[in-house]
Amino acid sequence: MAPELALVATAVALPFVASGATPLVYRLVGARTGYFGAAVAIACFALAGSQLGRRGAVGVPWVPSMDVSLRFYVDGWAVLFALLASAIGALVFVYSASYMADEHTLARYYATLLAFMGSILGVAFAADLLAVFLFWELTSLCSFVLIGHHTDEADSRYAARMAMIVTVGGGLFLLVGIAFLSIAATEALGARSFDLAAMLANADAMESSLRELGLFVPTLAVVAVAAGAKSAQVPLHFWLPNAMAAPTPVSAFLHSATMVKVGVYFVGRLRPLLGGDEWMVLFATVGLATMTAGAALAVVATDIKELLAYSTASHLGLMVAGFGFQSVYGAEAGAFHLFNHALFKAALFLVAGIVAHEVGTRRLAGLSGLWRDLPVTAAVAGVTGLSMAGIPPFSGFYSKELLFEAAYEAAHAAGGLAWLYPAVAVFASVLTVLYSLRLLAIFVGERPGAVASVHRPSAALVAPPAVLGVATAVVSVAPQLAVDAVVEAAIGATAAESPDVHVGLPTHLTPPVAMSAVTIVAGAAAYPVLGRLQRAIGAVVGATPIARPNWWYDRLLSGTEAAGPRVARTVHNGLLRTYVVWVLAAASALALAGYAATTGLVPAVEGVRVTPGITLVLLVAVVAAVAVVSAPSHVVGVLALSILGFMVAIFYILASAPDLALTQLVVETLVLLIFLLVLEQLPAFYADTDRLVAARDAVLSVVVGATAFLTVMLASPDIGAEPTAIARFYATEAVPAGGGTNVVNVILVDFRGFDTLGELFVVSIAAMSVVVLIAMRNRGETR
Amino acid sequence: MSVALAFVVGGLFGLGTFLLLRRDLVRVVWGVAVVSQAANVYLISMGGVAPGTHDSVPVLAGHGEPVPETTDPLVQALVLTAIVISFGTTAFALALTYRAYEENETMDVQEWQ
Repeated sequence: MAPELALVATAVALPFVASGATPLVYRLVGARTGYFGAAVAIACFALAGSQLGRRGAVGVPWVPSMDVSLRFYVDGWAVLFALLASAIGALVFVYSASYMADEHTLARYYATLLAFMGSILGVAFAADLLAVFLFWELTSLCSFVLIGHHTDEADSRYAARMAMIVTVGGGLFLLVGIAFLSIAATEALGARSFDLAAMLANADAMESSLRELGLFVPTLAVVAVAAGAKSAQVPLHFWLPNAMAAPTPVSAFLHSATMVKVGVYFVGRLRPLLGGDEWMVLFATVGLATMTAGAALAVVATDIKELLAYSTASHLGLMVAGFGFQSVYGAEAGAFHLFNHALFKAALFLVAGIVAHEVGTRRLAGLSGLWRDLPVTAAVAGVTGLSMAGIPPFSGFYSKELLFEAAYEAAHAAGGLAWLYPAVAVFASVLTVLYSLRLLAIFVGERPGAVASVHRPSAALVAPPAVLGVATAVVSVAPQLAVDAVVEAAIGATAAESPDVHVGLPTHLTPPVAMSAVTIVAGAAAYPVLGRLQRAIGAVVGATPIARPNWWYDRLLSGTEAAGPRVARTVHNGLLRTYVVWVLAAASALALAGYAATTGLVPAVEGVRVTPGITLVLLVAVVAAVAVVSAPSHVVGVLALSILGFMVAIFYILASAPDLALTQLVVETLVLLIFLLVLEQLPAFYADTDRLVAARDAVLSVVVGATAFLTVMLASPDIGAEPTAIARFYATEAVPAGGGTNVVNVILVDFRGFDTLGELFVVSIAAMSVVVLIAMRNRGETR
Repeated sequence: MSVALAFVVGGLFGLGTFLLLRRDLVRVVWGVAVVSQAANVYLISMGGVAPGTHDSVPVLAGHGEPVPETTDPLVQALVLTAIVISFGTTAFALALTYRAYEENETMDVQEWQ
């Protein structure tokens, strides 16, 4: 069934409209604006949910002649992503209403959060690659504002800038990828197009077109960089842990359902289009590397949010790796884990917020026994934490099992080095179990004396994570329910074949089941030696600063910051002549290069057709110009300049332009007078003594002169050519339309009257400036 | 187009450029003036410079008469504007020169702070 355009468009537009209205709402209801945001999110959820089970592209033409239209593409994958973003958005808004109640600048916060949610929905539904790019960059911009919410904290500003540079930089790679895809579409679809839906419908034609053009691997690479920057894949993962400087609700939203999932979403979206052997090697490798690195760094994290942030990177790696594998299990692992991760990670971040809010610290080291004071929170953390660890029968187990299955299948099919895939997946999962246990340890055991007192969180704070905890529990008990409801359609949209997905607890021993068993046993067994493991990982990380992308980022940024002023000092050195040299040399070089590339540098020389009179007059003008250059004093120079001007006036007479000649004569006379008046006040002449400088200037002058010479030779019309249509128009219309016989005058005062008005302004401004400069010097504004 | 015309335009541009690069501010102003003269001649040459006749001047004989083939009137209108504007800028540049000398007590652009 085709989707409903009005509903989809409303779902995308509503958050933006609400974002614009937020300042007004905030003025009315204050900190309770969060509930307004939640209502908008629930409306979006309902709108997106109404499209469940539909599939197809809808749109309205915008600029039909250029094939630009407002298009939306709806399928299971898009709906799943939109539902997650709006559902978790609603919970985050409710949570913010109490968590952020004491903060300032809440209007900005909620407005940005709404716009952010709208951008995510836009990415989910956009069917036009340019619209995808627009929304993609909008998410980066909004996240910049959200991460940098605490504008007075240096950490926050640093993190916001880093997220911005990395993700917007990644977005530029996406733009290149879009250009490649559009070039390929020229051949595959018969016209240059940015229509993603059409590309997906003709995936095979697109792929063969890309391969023919030799653009397949470049497209894959730039898309991978864009998605990797957004989804925090190694080596661009470093912005994500820094982004925890954001307020906790923002972290929950950013890390669970939205920002970082955009990359994964797009990878899943393009999987049917670009899937192939290169695809698997690239994404499975990058994904598993991220999964391992993220998990290892989470093990050594000292702060709850830091642990969760690295864990997010690790789980994103799992999804990307899942989509990397070509079997249908891969798509199942990616889509199902996207769903599970959104639920449990949002809950865990909100739990971390409650701990920070009520206990006053987020440090893992000093905390334990919190279940006594925070029983509901602890229960939520228990369910979601075990789900994150992938312990059966919790929800994360099912999707991780699918990844093991996909990795095993791929290794079984390819053999050799491919056996590293399942091995690395198991290793990373062992680390995942470890850090999950470590996180849960803060809730069990006895409360240490160091923690003074724990407040009771308000119901509004506990409710959102509790809802997510219940949802995770439901998916854990009855995974098939979730799969049938939303996930299966999403898998179908990201896989080439139509899947028949069954998930549940294993009933007999298969290799993936054995891998899961190894993971859990090894994780539990390693927990007692956690301290030693942390020291080992810490030593590796500490010993190689050069291997840390964050180090490179800092170097690059500080290097750029230092280089900027240095370049500016060199280029912008305050000497007028330097600028003149660069501008003229560059203009000449570009013009000459243009001629060389098009018409060639040798003009066709026609015979001398200018009358001897004109030639003579102009030669005198050149001689006068030479006299200006070599004038021994200012007065001589000015007189020579006047000769030049009068010769040009005579040239105008000979070239059938009497009006110009009249104007020129008047102007030249006036200029001569002004020069003489000014020169009276100025000191005598300075000589340029440096011969070397004069020689260098002469070379540049010759180049500029030669360029001008060539330009006239190449660009001026042939002798005897017909007058241009526009010249003819003015000549014939002067009398009927302008009522004057002097065509030039009619043009100036009638056809181009406004130009003349502008010219009058210029002259009057010049006159006023002269008066101000000379007559008003001593009116007190000088030093 | 005629080599002579091209030579003149090129020569004026070259000499104007040389003047623009001098240390003496008055010469820089001369450079601006010479370059604008060269630009005007160049613009006129774009309209085509034919030997002048009675018909080629873009002033028509009278109302209702047939319109002869004139030189390009639009180019002349452009140049007329350019002449007036360059007069304005030259006057302004000279005033600026005078004022700059008053402030800095030197005409040497390299010595300015």
